[in-house]
Amino acid sequence: MRVTEHSNFDTVRNSIDRSKTRMTNLQEQHATLKKLNTPSDDPVGAAKVLEVRTDKVNNDQFQTNAKLAETYLNNTDHALSELSDMIVRAKEIAIGQSSGASSNEDTRIGVAEEITQLYQSAVATANRRIGDRYLFGGFKTHRPPVDADGRYLGDDGQMMVEIARDVFLSMNIPGLDAFNTNPKGSFDAYQVQSGRTPASAAEREMPKGENLENVNVFDELQNLRIALLTGDLSGIHNTLERFDGIHSKIVATRSKVGSRIQGLQGTMQSLERHNITNAGLTSSIEDADMARVVSDLAKEETVFRSALQSSSKLVQPTLMEFLK
Amino acid sequence: MGLPNVMNTGRTGMVAAKVNIATSGHNIANTNTEGYSRQRVQQEAEKPNAGAGSRAQIGTGTKVSRVDRINDEYIAKQIRNNGRDMAHLEEKDIVLRQTEDIFNEMGGEGLNRLVARFFNEFRKLSNDPDSEAIRQSVREASQSMVNDFNRLRKEVDDTRAHMDSRIEGHVKEFNRYADEIRILNTKVQSVEIGGGVPNDLYDKRDLALKKLSEFMDVSMHKDGLGHYNVDVKGMGPLINGASAEFFSVSRSPADAEGKPENALDIHSTGHALGTVTHVIKGGKIGALLEARDQTVSTVLERLDTLAFGVADAVNSIHAQGFTRTGATGVAFFKPLAQRERAAEFLKLSEAVSSSANNIAAAAQLDSPGDNRIAIAISGIQNIKALNEGTSTFDDFYNSIVSDVGVATSRNRSTMSQTKDIQTQLGKMRDQISGVSLDEETANILQFQHMFDASAKVIKVADECLQTVLDLKR
Repeated sequence: MRVTEHSNFDTVRNSIDRSKTRMTNLQEQHATLKKLNTPSDDPVGAAKVLEVRTDKVNNDQFQTNAKLAETYLNNTDHALSELSDMIVRAKEIAIGQSSGASSNEDTRIGVAEEITQLYQSAVATANRRIGDRYLFGGFKTHRPPVDADGRYLGDDGQMMVEIARDVFLSMNIPGLDAFNTNPKGSFDAYQVQSGRTPASAAEREMPKGENLENVNVFDELQNLRIALLTGDLSGIHNTLERFDGIHSKIVATRSKVGSRIQGLQGTMQSLERHNITNAGLTSSIEDADMARVVSDLAKEETVFRSALQSSSKLVQPTLMEFLK
Repeated sequence: MGLPNVMNTGRTGMVAAKVNIATSGHNIANTNTEGYSRQRVQQEAEKPNAGAGSRAQIGTGTKVSRVDRINDEYIAKQIRNNGRDMAHLEEKDIVLRQTEDIFNEMGGEGLNRLVARFFNEFRKLSNDPDSEAIRQSVREASQSMVNDFNRLRKEVDDTRAHMDSRIEGHVKEFNRYADEIRILNTKVQSVEIGGGVPNDLYDKRDLALKKLSEFMDVSMHKDGLGHYNVDVKGMGPLINGASAEFFSVSRSPADAEGKPENALDIHSTGHALGTVTHVIKGGKIGALLEARDQTVSTVLERLDTLAFGVADAVNSIHAQGFTRTGATGVAFFKPLAQRERAAEFLKLSEAVSSSANNIAAAAQLDSPGDNRIAIAISGIQNIKALNEGTSTFDDFYNSIVSDVGVATSRNRSTMSQTKDIQTQLGKMRDQISGVSLDEETANILQFQHMFDASAKVIKVADECLQTVLDLKR
């Protein structure tokens, strides 16, 4: 076989080139700590990484959403708990004043004053805000949902937040649902909604209590106050049952809020787990195995050195040198 | 036979030695000349004289019959074909890497992230639909996404323009080599008619043919006159003896086969229709045409589909909503008339870019807490709206990135195989036609000895003659 200088040098060039290409590649991995530096390094992996990155951005947002919903629901719960205390107090007063034995006009006027206070506190609680948004107004977050006469000015809007992909949860309780025992025109949205359309017409129809009478917190406090002032003992007595209805309605609403919060916490944990899994996945796709890169780099350096060394052997001697 | 004849024998030896040394010298001088094939002197014994009074035939020395070029036409052809493939792959690699770079966001920001952010901002908006700050941030995120669409479209377009300028350059070079072969055909013929063997012209012509084949798929056959006749696959004759066809380029409108608007068309004087853009395959020019009219066109088309899809989906939901000022039917993006070049023309609507209050989040009037439109828009992210309902916008974009990656990596691996074959073929050619300095040095020494010995023959003959002349005295 004829071996010419040209092919000798070519071999030298090729082996140095090849070795250097591999070294540059390893160098890049070493510098970026990533083995996936361009999509062509691993096209399928690259698409997966992009997908997971989007997932991560979304999950972070879902977590923020969930925290916000939690704040809302916690505040709603506090407000409802206060309201429930007020109802209990009003009922105590009503019990105390409903029998003629313990009731006289002076005390009735005295406690009527307390009922007025309770009424005002109840309105204030119903108009509770977070930042500049009213908690109980449904979508009408920009104005107090209950006016001084106890009229509800909000609507039945449920503010849905996405707490996981395609999982929505209402973060508010429209006042109508909390203050009325059997609100007309309102719908009792369930806890967690799948899919994105707000409740359909059929769902709006769904929850209608057995009790056809609609009792309102504010009306009832007013009724009690008037009955106290006019000394209408049977009127006072009549409020008892209705206060019971209101109270159990508030308790039911609170338990609804509570279960939403519980659901939220579960979702937040699963989001966290999801993020960790995703991080592991992207890492396995795009992160370089440093131990391997470093050892490969060392190996490649040896290869490079030996290529240089053998090259010097290969191109050095010519016949000319021996003819001197 | 006389002594002066012996002197002549010595002389022929010296001449032959000189020719051999000269040829070795020529070989050494051209060791690194591209396309050079080593040459070998062919000698034969001179016609012998009949010996005086005997039947013996007495040799009269040597003669240089010809100088051969050592090469293998079959390997030359393989090298040409391989060189064409290699040039094709290398050219494609350049273009694909540029395109890949545009879409490379492995290291950080890119359209994928910006689209994710865009939809996420609507999620933020749904948490607090009445917040001025979040509205501003929705608008900023949307603007960033729009800018990135525009940037990608422009950069890919620039790559395409760059390809056109390369095509133009390659066509010029191609013409130059075609012209060179045409001229060499004439030169070779004129030397051959005189009985000569123009080894160096052969090498030059082979080299020109090799360079020519790097640009496109051509085939060569030799005719009876020793001309190289070259055909372009799919088009017909390019070089026929002493005449050649030439290519030219011009800008023209888009055509049905993927050639974009205002991109270069290639014309040939040798084709009935004149335009040969879609006939040319292989080589550098073939690679550029393929990348320009297929790969990059597809990428742009998909980018446009994406931009159009996003704008359309967002607009159709946004228009149903109510803005903070109570208006409805407001477009979020400036409505796009057509899918074509959508990524280039995508921009925010005037309403939205003039005020963030014109972003609609609510599905009913006068409800600052209503976030249903914002939720619906953020939900577009997960709707399988593209590829006949099989891809979300994210999937669709990610598949552009991965497809460009696949094309690049596949091209690269084929390139490395072809490169190995190229090395192998180069070695084979070198084994046959390459100049070995050691070999030539040995040859020179060998012929130096021959030269010395031949001179010695003359000297001895001279001495013998002297002896004869001295007899008279």
